[in-house]
Amino acid sequence: MTKHLLGLGALLAVGVVYPFVFPNALTIAISVLLFAGWATSWDLLGGWNGQVSLGHASFVGLGAYFVAIGQSQFGLAPWWTMALAAAFAAVLGYFWGQLTFSLRGPYFSLSTIAVAEVLRLIAINEEWLTGGATGVFIATLPEPFGVDLFSRTAQFYMALAFAAGVIATVIVISRARFGYQLRAVREDEDSAMAAGIDPTATKLKAFMLSAALTSAGGGIYGIVLAFIEPHVIFALLLSVQIALTAIIGGRGTIWGPAVGALVLVGAGEMFRTTFAEANMLIYGILILVVVLFVPRGIVGELARRHIRRLYAKRAQG
Amino acid sequence: MRTINFAHGDFVVLGMYSAVLFNALLGWDPYLSLLLAMPIGFFAGIIVERFILSRVVDAPPESALLATLGISLIIGNAILLTFGGEPRSVQVSYASSTFSIAGVNVSMVLLLAGIATVIMIAALYALLNRTEVGRAIRGTAENRLGAELVGVDTRRIHSIVFGLGVMLAVMAGVTLIPLLFATPTNTGAVFTLKAFVVTVLGGLGNVGAAIAGGILLGVVEVLGASYFMSEYREAYGLIAFLLILLFRPEGLFGRTVKRV
Repeated sequence: MTKHLLGLGALLAVGVVYPFVFPNALTIAISVLLFAGWATSWDLLGGWNGQVSLGHASFVGLGAYFVAIGQSQFGLAPWWTMALAAAFAAVLGYFWGQLTFSLRGPYFSLSTIAVAEVLRLIAINEEWLTGGATGVFIATLPEPFGVDLFSRTAQFYMALAFAAGVIATVIVISRARFGYQLRAVREDEDSAMAAGIDPTATKLKAFMLSAALTSAGGGIYGIVLAFIEPHVIFALLLSVQIALTAIIGGRGTIWGPAVGALVLVGAGEMFRTTFAEANMLIYGILILVVVLFVPRGIVGELARRHIRRLYAKRAQG
Repeated sequence: MRTINFAHGDFVVLGMYSAVLFNALLGWDPYLSLLLAMPIGFFAGIIVERFILSRVVDAPPESALLATLGISLIIGNAILLTFGGEPRSVQVSYASSTFSIAGVNVSMVLLLAGIATVIMIAALYALLNRTEVGRAIRGTAENRLGAELVGVDTRRIHSIVFGLGVMLAVMAGVTLIPLLFATPTNTGAVFTLKAFVVTVLGGLGNVGAAIAGGILLGVVEVLGASYFMSEYREAYGLIAFLLILLFRPEGLFGRTVKRV
């Protein structure tokens, strides 16, 4: 655990000086951090608890819409609307989970797509609520302590705080009773039940936490975009991206999703000129490679090799 | 065969683009290019199954889903790279021609697509129920180990079934191209979702039930759109899908009670 906390400290230290060293590469760093945070939140449910959701874009959208509408219609500051969005996302996650957790494995994944698509249609069609297909525009933002929230530097620090907060949550959970319950349910629901764990309650808690964290990041994304369209933010593709980032990085590891975000967003940036809009090609190729050759993901595979080396050393005496 | 194929819609789109390609290069009519596109689809499916899906049969069930998701992304974006993002279609002289049967106007293309579908369903039915391969397919679906014990090469059967699936998807794409515009990435996801809804609605692993599911989806969407809010046309199918999955996972017309 100390090791992970040191890693988190290193991330924060690098993050604090980053805007001064690379003032021109802030936008890409913001996407890396947001994806790291979302993928890590997704991983609480998808990796630690084994429930592969393909609907997490709904929570991103929820957070972004709360911030945008709260600001433009009610003059509510983003930090209040983000807290509201997280609470609402947890409630939504509760009902969503109640509805679909009786399904197992791939069927659960399919049901999350269906629910997310229905939510997307609502966002597009309920104009009184969301501004419809044209979207919502954030024109003004409050300036806490004189900080301009429209500046990329401020947004970078918000994204950094979000990613670090989510990773810290996962570090704590990985060693807590709840973390062991999550893993027990993932490995075998029936055995977990025999050991006195309520699988549905565990999955519900994981889903609610994951949803709340994701929507907080969605709120920051809303500020970064400043213009929110339901087609973009509720898209199935974003859900897929979040899930694949975590899986390629390494499901059920603390740093896997963050590493996945770094690799995938970085690769997307590198091949931007070659592939143009076809940059999801990288996700497709990498997920095939991971499924076929490294099922544990990048970090999971490295951790396994490290542990095997340790055992080999000990066996040699 | 219990593999959830996320790339199914993308194979439909691949069929559409193959018709576009044959039309541009050779000036073929879409229905003529079926002769070439369908066998190619069949073998492409077999290759994908052999090299990718057969390796994840014994892995956790999500692995196959993730692998097909990867294939879907690769197909969609590869098409995007080759053909560009603008919608494509094939213009045929009879695209807009309609004629009326008993006072109902029917478009020529839809009629041809319908006829092609009926022929394919009949062929599929004959294959599954009247041939040795069909019997092996049904046996493998019912009980893989049992089929192996009586000498069925289930790996070969899995390949053939996936090949058939891709062939049918390609056929659907080719027959629809005069009517619909193909876009590389969006169209595929729409077809995939519809295919899931239809099969779950009818009942998994049952061709007849899938047909009934398809008809039902059309009826639910059209009725929902005309009697309630038309903006939610797609949502009705999805809601029906969720309800069936939750309360009657064997499908409306399925008989085997199997909890999913």
